[in-house]
Amino acid sequence: MATPKTRFGKIWSKAGAVLSVAAIGFVLFPIFLADNPWPVEARDYLAAMGQAETGAVNLVSSIYLGYRIFDTLGETIVLLVAVLGTMSILSRVESLVDDSPADDAGKSGADKAGDALKKSGGFSLSREKRHSHTLRTDLLEAVTGKIGPVILIFGFYVMLFGHVSPGGGFQGGVIVASAIVFLTLGNPGAGTLLSNTRVLSTLETAAFLLMLLLSSSGLLFGQGFFGNPMAGAENPEVYIIILNAVVGLKVGASLGFLCITMMGGHK
Amino acid sequence: MISLLLILIICAAVYTLSSSNLLHGVIAMSFVSLLSALIFYILQAPDVAITEAAVGAGVSTVIYVWALRYTKRSDDGDS
Amino acid sequence: MKLELLLILILFLVGFWGIVGKNNIIKKIFGLNMINAAAVILFILEGSRSGADAPILGKEGLHIVDPVPQALMLTAIVIGVCITALALALAVHLYRVSGSFDIDRIRDKVHNEN
Repeated sequence: MATPKTRFGKIWSKAGAVLSVAAIGFVLFPIFLADNPWPVEARDYLAAMGQAETGAVNLVSSIYLGYRIFDTLGETIVLLVAVLGTMSILSRVESLVDDSPADDAGKSGADKAGDALKKSGGFSLSREKRHSHTLRTDLLEAVTGKIGPVILIFGFYVMLFGHVSPGGGFQGGVIVASAIVFLTLGNPGAGTLLSNTRVLSTLETAAFLLMLLLSSSGLLFGQGFFGNPMAGAENPEVYIIILNAVVGLKVGASLGFLCITMMGGHK
Repeated sequence: MISLLLILIICAAVYTLSSSNLLHGVIAMSFVSLLSALIFYILQAPDVAITEAAVGAGVSTVIYVWALRYTKRSDDGDS
Repeated sequence: MKLELLLILILFLVGFWGIVGKNNIIKKIFGLNMINAAAVILFILEGSRSGADAPILGKEGLHIVDPVPQALMLTAIVIGVCITALALALAVHLYRVSGSFDIDRIRDKVHNEN
């Protein structure tokens, strides 16, 4: 289909877009504005039996780690696929590959900045290769480098207390991912341990393997696949806490890896 | 209250699609996420509010800004 | 209640207009995000009608909202950011190959090379 070049062709394509939006609105109008009562059987059952069966006071955690844990497994697989896809697409874009210049030792800062601008126009994290010195001041590095560990601790808190207060694996994982971005921005040059892409990918695969191990532990105790192996004991929420930590680590490492890869890679 | 926040969200969304500077559009999208997180808090859903705030205003905006930065195109030439 | 549902429908349609009617790839990705946000707000709004308190037990006499749509929307939000990341990686690659974000120019370049 050729692109419209004449004026009539452009008006025709815009009219087609408006017509399709109107058609979608016409179809969705009764769906959005229907007056059906919301069924409350699920809410009543969960309010009565949710804590006794899974041990979590936060009912949303008891759903996505107890009753519908296959959705969580599917979501971690979707995260894995997204990170794989992004990595494989970005590795073909040659200006994003961060090759460290071994022969730039004798040049000054301005020469290296000029080289970076000429070479690829790529965005790099190390101080010498930046070509926009004015936008990355020392103030930004000082603030993000100091506040990074605090946000990391907050992320771990939200992750591990997800069964008694709002929070859980997903939330804590995303906060840990933002903390990883802060730590990488705040420590230029070598970066911290969590800025290394190899460490992050190892963490992600280890968390995935731990999740598979935990899922089959339910089989040994007679609770079925992904069942809570401590359902009969006096504190069945230990399983929920461990699962929260594993899901949080997986999500945090995945999103942190994604962000650092799109930032330009950091060896 | 929720209607007012939804009207603000629609205004920010229309501004996003019609601005010629893509970086302004990204900031408006993070504003949409912020208002959504506020709506979720008012509707008694604290877990979803934390997730939307951390994801929308954090990771998503970072990914957008770095994608625009790579391509060196912060301005839109046409519609 | 009807007004809020109508506003959510309008947000959905604005996002759909961004996908269909705009020529810039980044604006199409903005439209995807808006559609995601509209669907999530719709579910949480409908789920909150059947109660008055947040779904965390602890005190007596709580009349909680339905926790099932909230748990489903957690997964939906994280999957939305995965879709955005993959779409942006594709957009960056298209820019490097063809030199613009405009979809008409990309289509012409692909057709001229064939």
